[in-house]
Amino acid sequence: MSLTKHINILDYTLLSLLRRKFRNAGIILVFSLVICITGSVLLLTYAFKREAVLVLGNVPELIVQKMTAGRHELIPVSLGEEISRIPGVSGVEPRYWGYYFDSFTKANYTVVTPGGRLSEGNKLLQGRLPSAEEKGVAAIGGGIARTRFLGIDDDLALFSPDGKLRNFRVVGIFQAPSELLTFDLIVIGKGDLQELFSLPPGIATDLVVGVRNETEAPVIARKIRERIPDSRPILRREIIRTYDAVFSWRSGLILTLFAGALAAFAILAWDKATGLSADERREIGILKALGWETSDILEMKFWEGVAISLTSFFLGILAAYAHIFFFDAALFAPALKGWSVIYPRFHLVPFIDPYQIATLLSLTVIPYIASTIIPSWKAAVTDPDEVVRG
Amino acid sequence: MPADTIISTSGVTKYFNRGRPNEVLAVNGVTFAIRKGDFSVLKGPSGSGKTTLLSLIGCMTRPTAGSVVVAGRDASHLPERFLAEIRRKTFGFIFQQFHLIPGMSVLQNVMIPLYPTDSTLPDLKRRAAALLDSLDMSKRAAFPVQGLSGGEQQRTAIARALINDPDIILADEPTAHLDTALSKDFMEIMKGFRDKGKTIVIASHDPLVFEDPAVGLIVGMRDGSLTELKRRG
Amino acid sequence: MNRAFVFLAGAGLCLLALTGLLFRSAATVRQQGNTVRDMTEIAACLRLTDISFSHDARYTRHPSQADLFSAFQDHPGSIEHFPSGSVSAPPDFSGIGTAISAGKR
Ligand SMILES: Nc1ncnc2c1ncn2[C@@H]1O[C@H](COP(=O)(O)OP(=O)(O)OP(=O)(O)O)[C@@H](O)[C@H]1O
Ligand SMILES: [Mg+2]
Repeated sequence: MSLTKHINILDYTLLSLLRRKFRNAGIILVFSLVICITGSVLLLTYAFKREAVLVLGNVPELIVQKMTAGRHELIPVSLGEEISRIPGVSGVEPRYWGYYFDSFTKANYTVVTPGGRLSEGNKLLQGRLPSAEEKGVAAIGGGIARTRFLGIDDDLALFSPDGKLRNFRVVGIFQAPSELLTFDLIVIGKGDLQELFSLPPGIATDLVVGVRNETEAPVIARKIRERIPDSRPILRREIIRTYDAVFSWRSGLILTLFAGALAAFAILAWDKATGLSADERREIGILKALGWETSDILEMKFWEGVAISLTSFFLGILAAYAHIFFFDAALFAPALKGWSVIYPRFHLVPFIDPYQIATLLSLTVIPYIASTIIPSWKAAVTDPDEVVRG
Repeated sequence: MPADTIISTSGVTKYFNRGRPNEVLAVNGVTFAIRKGDFSVLKGPSGSGKTTLLSLIGCMTRPTAGSVVVAGRDASHLPERFLAEIRRKTFGFIFQQFHLIPGMSVLQNVMIPLYPTDSTLPDLKRRAAALLDSLDMSKRAAFPVQGLSGGEQQRTAIARALINDPDIILADEPTAHLDTALSKDFMEIMKGFRDKGKTIVIASHDPLVFEDPAVGLIVGMRDGSLTELKRRG
Repeated sequence: MNRAFVFLAGAGLCLLALTGLLFRSAATVRQQGNTVRDMTEIAACLRLTDISFSHDARYTRHPSQADLFSAFQDHPGSIEHFPSGSVSAPPDFSGIGTAISAGKR
């Protein structure tokens, strides 16, 4: 068996495709656009999910909130004792946090207290983190530093509910690569937070419950609900699932925005799949009359599908990669991030799932090849005598 | 049947649209034989079945009844794959409408029949160029075929029919689109091939073709039936 | 020049470029392993539950921490506030897995 014949047929196919340069270039353009969009969505969603899940892999296993009249309420710290008596619970700690609406910048900040220390080597924080007991100092996220023009040792002024202005000295600023997590954070000590929000003593925002065995978390959550009926436990697993769903939902939204392009391509593919042009039919007849076998014709059509769809796939997927990881998803960012007063500046870590790319390849290239071969089947098997007559 | 018979038909019959109201009996029980090296002409009025008989001989279509034997093989029952092989190896077909593929150059058009074979492209190109040279067409080799004159188109079609070095050349109404001078040129080219030992079958109602003294066998047709079988010279 | 070889070479080159990018991203991921580790540490230290992704409103800042006194938010798993939240019921996430393994279960 020799390859020459197949190389020749491929050569002829390309020659034949070049006869309709503009039409085929148009198909490739639309096709690669479709692949670029779909590929971008896949790459972006996957990278986001991976990053989110990696980062959230260490969030508290179980969080307990209190409900009053169906609303989220601050929780008495004393409830922690009751919870810690449940078998399997390794410890309960109160968590203090809240939102601060900054009327100057019309943005919402998230105010939290530290639950421990950062290791010395953590490069994502310039300066240091305040400890839980410290007063009058704060570490802030990059978004706040930018909008308020703050640097280390500057003063961050915040209003407390009684209308008084309170000053915090900035001792730490989170660095750009961590903005996906820290963008809008203000970290202050526990006492400061209680004063800033006028929290009564003995009350926390919610409780973090440590669990000895991860697999028991759902059981413990159920027990907590039984013993404290007005509580609401939130599992880490639920958080991660929620994020998965949020990103899938958002990527669906983007695909809807580009539904026009997808529809245009569907019409194009339909047009191709439903029939050969008179010119193509005539070409096939001539080739057959000149001694090409049916299998040669089908091979030519196969190459035609390969040439167009593979070219489009490569162009599209390379463009998608550049779009997402070199240009930070410039086209999609608005739809993905939602509107906001200030946007986090983060650079995506290029997590890629080769399996997803392979799936995209097989879901675009193979149907296109099929839609090229199948309609030409009938023309390829009919006798060429029609062409004799012209 | 003489030993040097290259094409023979026996009782070959072709219906179109069999069993439907628009049924046509295009060729009706034709039996004749063509010897190797014959210069033969199928003649007859329009609609008499010349083109149909030619495409039956050329293995472009299968007879409804009867048989066509080409170079010792009964083509009427061969699977399609073998018919294509016979077309590729044995015949060179010059169509009435030429059927060049627009958008390709003269040289590329001439190469088409040999693409699905194991000859390499540079080799093919050399053969095509040599053929075009022998037909005085080398200055047009790189031209796109749409821009050619009728005579040039026909020479391209001739070159394409000859690229596979066929034993038999079939031509349908080759002079229909040509003026007298070009028609005579065409006959001269065909005589040249006959002299090289090729068998030539032309379907034509042009007296300039069938009255040519070089023609050795005249097959007359009317309404699909054989009316005349005359050997000359 | 044989078009077939040009095409095959081009396709091969693209394939090479694609594999190159795959390796590049794998390398970048490895290189940024420290960043991810530091991020994880921050998340653990501050006991954060949500990434700071959407700031358009309080109730979108922490999708996992349902904030029932805000507009439109009616379920911890409710994935959007408008308009799907008001038209369709929040999906039941307990059955669906995620495409991503969340460490150990
Ligand atoms: N595909 C077809 N379907 C139906 N009828 C056909 C078909 N091809 C040919 N015919 C009919 O068969 C008859 C013979 O046609 P054919 O083309 O062989 O004649 P011809 O001798 O070549 O005529 P001309 O000199 O005009 O080329 C005609 O009546 C024609 O209408
Ligand atoms: Mg005819």
